[in-house]
Amino acid sequence: MDPRKYNIYFHTHTISGIIIAAVLYVIFFAGSFSFFKDDIAAWQKGRSEAGHAFDPPYNYLLDSLSQHYNLRGRSFNFYLLRQGQGTYVDMTASADTTVSKPKPKTGKEDGRSRRGKRDEDAAYFRYHFADKKAGDYADSYDMAEFLYRLHFLAQLNQVGINIGTPFGYLVAGIVAFLFLFALITGLLLHWDKIKSNFFLFRPMGKWKTVWTDMHTTLGVIGFPFQLVFAVTGVVLIVNYVLLMPFASLLYNGDSDKLYESLQYNKVVKVDYTYKPISGAFDMDAFVGKWQKEWKDAKISRIYIRNYMDESMQVSLEGQPNPEANFAGSGYVTVNIGTGKVLEHKSPNNGGNYIDGVKSLLYHLHFGDFGGKPLRIIFFLLGLMGCAVIVSGIMIWLVARDKVATELRKRRFNFWASNFFLAACLSMLPVTAFTFIMVKMLDQVDQGVIYRTYFYSWLVLGIYLMVLRNLPRMNRHTLILSAVLCLGVPIANGISTGLWMWTTWQKGAFDILFIDALFLTLAGSCAYAFTRVRTEAKTFKVLSLSKTPENVSKPSVVRE
Amino acid sequence: MPANKKYLTKSPWLRLSKILCGSVGGYAVTVSLHLFFTAFLPKENVIMTAAFTGYILWAFLLLYAFVATNVWRVWGIYVLLTIVFALPYLLKINFNHGS
Repeated sequence: MDPRKYNIYFHTHTISGIIIAAVLYVIFFAGSFSFFKDDIAAWQKGRSEAGHAFDPPYNYLLDSLSQHYNLRGRSFNFYLLRQGQGTYVDMTASADTTVSKPKPKTGKEDGRSRRGKRDEDAAYFRYHFADKKAGDYADSYDMAEFLYRLHFLAQLNQVGINIGTPFGYLVAGIVAFLFLFALITGLLLHWDKIKSNFFLFRPMGKWKTVWTDMHTTLGVIGFPFQLVFAVTGVVLIVNYVLLMPFASLLYNGDSDKLYESLQYNKVVKVDYTYKPISGAFDMDAFVGKWQKEWKDAKISRIYIRNYMDESMQVSLEGQPNPEANFAGSGYVTVNIGTGKVLEHKSPNNGGNYIDGVKSLLYHLHFGDFGGKPLRIIFFLLGLMGCAVIVSGIMIWLVARDKVATELRKRRFNFWASNFFLAACLSMLPVTAFTFIMVKMLDQVDQGVIYRTYFYSWLVLGIYLMVLRNLPRMNRHTLILSAVLCLGVPIANGISTGLWMWTTWQKGAFDILFIDALFLTLAGSCAYAFTRVRTEAKTFKVLSLSKTPENVSKPSVVRE
Repeated sequence: MPANKKYLTKSPWLRLSKILCGSVGGYAVTVSLHLFFTAFLPKENVIMTAAFTGYILWAFLLLYAFVATNVWRVWGIYVLLTIVFALPYLLKINFNHGS
């Protein structure tokens, strides 16, 4: 390869990589665990959702709502949870002004944000079908939601940096794009050696060789996976960057219209008539009928407009089950008063091009088309991404740690890596610790999870940095991870009585899975700890006694 | 070892120019290319496809600004391409009567 190009690929890869390293690690780590979002939610709740069929009690829900609110003329959006075990409910104020008694308009309306400032008369909550209980968002916040949202840095939105767009999402988007850039430059950089070094692992060599192999070989093997996640990740979090100019050029600046033509949201606007509907509305029967009609599909959203008015309309949106049909989307809108079907598209046939592209985007990113085995493979590939990142940081440090380099620069490089590695490596013990705490504390909500996770992360991160010794940092995180991960199934057993053998007998495989996952992680970390202790070759690099060594994650992947 | 400095840009202004050229210029080319396709293909399909093609193209254009020997020429190419691709839109030519 032309040495000039080679060095440019090298440099752009290094710079883009080291800028995003720590944040990308957080994204990969939290994202990998998010493949088991439903299992984590079931685990925390202590109630298995595996293999349950739910008859969503909509009538019951509406009935109990009507005891607190006058429902006439309201609109409802139901966003059903993926396993159909519950739903988010968004209830607006009534279109009937005799019910809603509108306050004088302030002129500011926030249509797109669901959790923004809102009318007291409206409500947004999560409803669980099995126990027929509603909880507001912060109360029903769990570790599954936390890790899921951490993987696109939603928590960063709340730090108070106001730039007109959610700060955390923007950071996540920029990181994802730079990740895509680093992937491309990395592949080009390694191009000549792809074939010869495809399976080149030299675990017995010098540590620097181990890191290089880990970075390049695992990077190339995982390349397709990571490319998919880089691209779909950018699209899912900041696609507006590319959509904005199209909205202003092709849709006269009307982005709602653009989103509608891309089939993201349907604008259902129905004029209120002030004439009550005759007869009752049996929502269970209505939804059940369409569910029967749409075999092999799952209803994902339900919209009710102008409840109990003559103009009342109900829309359903559904997605085909990926086993039956990879791409597609369906919707139906019915005028309840007349029973007339206003529009209908079956989820299982007539999928158009946009359905195809979007299904590809979502299924590839969520890994929901191959059941648990695929999720486990994606999880391991995700951890492999973590290994590539951490070894990348190590290569970056060691390559610059030369006697010829200025001491000032070497100090800076060391502290940068020290900081990055402390932030990255402390994630596993901190996650396990928070899993234990949610089982040990009486009251768990959003605030508790935030405080437990972020403060323990801060404390452990500072502690590891103060060590100023990478091998010791590694050993400490490994032993901490082993102990805390082992504590997760134990904490679950003590607090709920759901020991692993109990969940096995009960067939609560989602709860069992999380316990087993942490047990495996504990085992891997313990094994890695013994290896690192016996094999780590310490070598003095700076006058500060710091001795880089292998890092924890690879052992998980190497198994 | 880090990349050989001999082959890297030394002037910070030139480096800034490359970064801007690749990001801003690359973005303009990406958007205008997809805009070009909307002249004869259904626009919503083109925009949806841009989810995949757009970002990958943008990343490659960003890289090209660094790889090319003369960044000012890349500026020229990107500006020219943007104008050419935007022509059908500017002249309101649309062969896709379906949408």
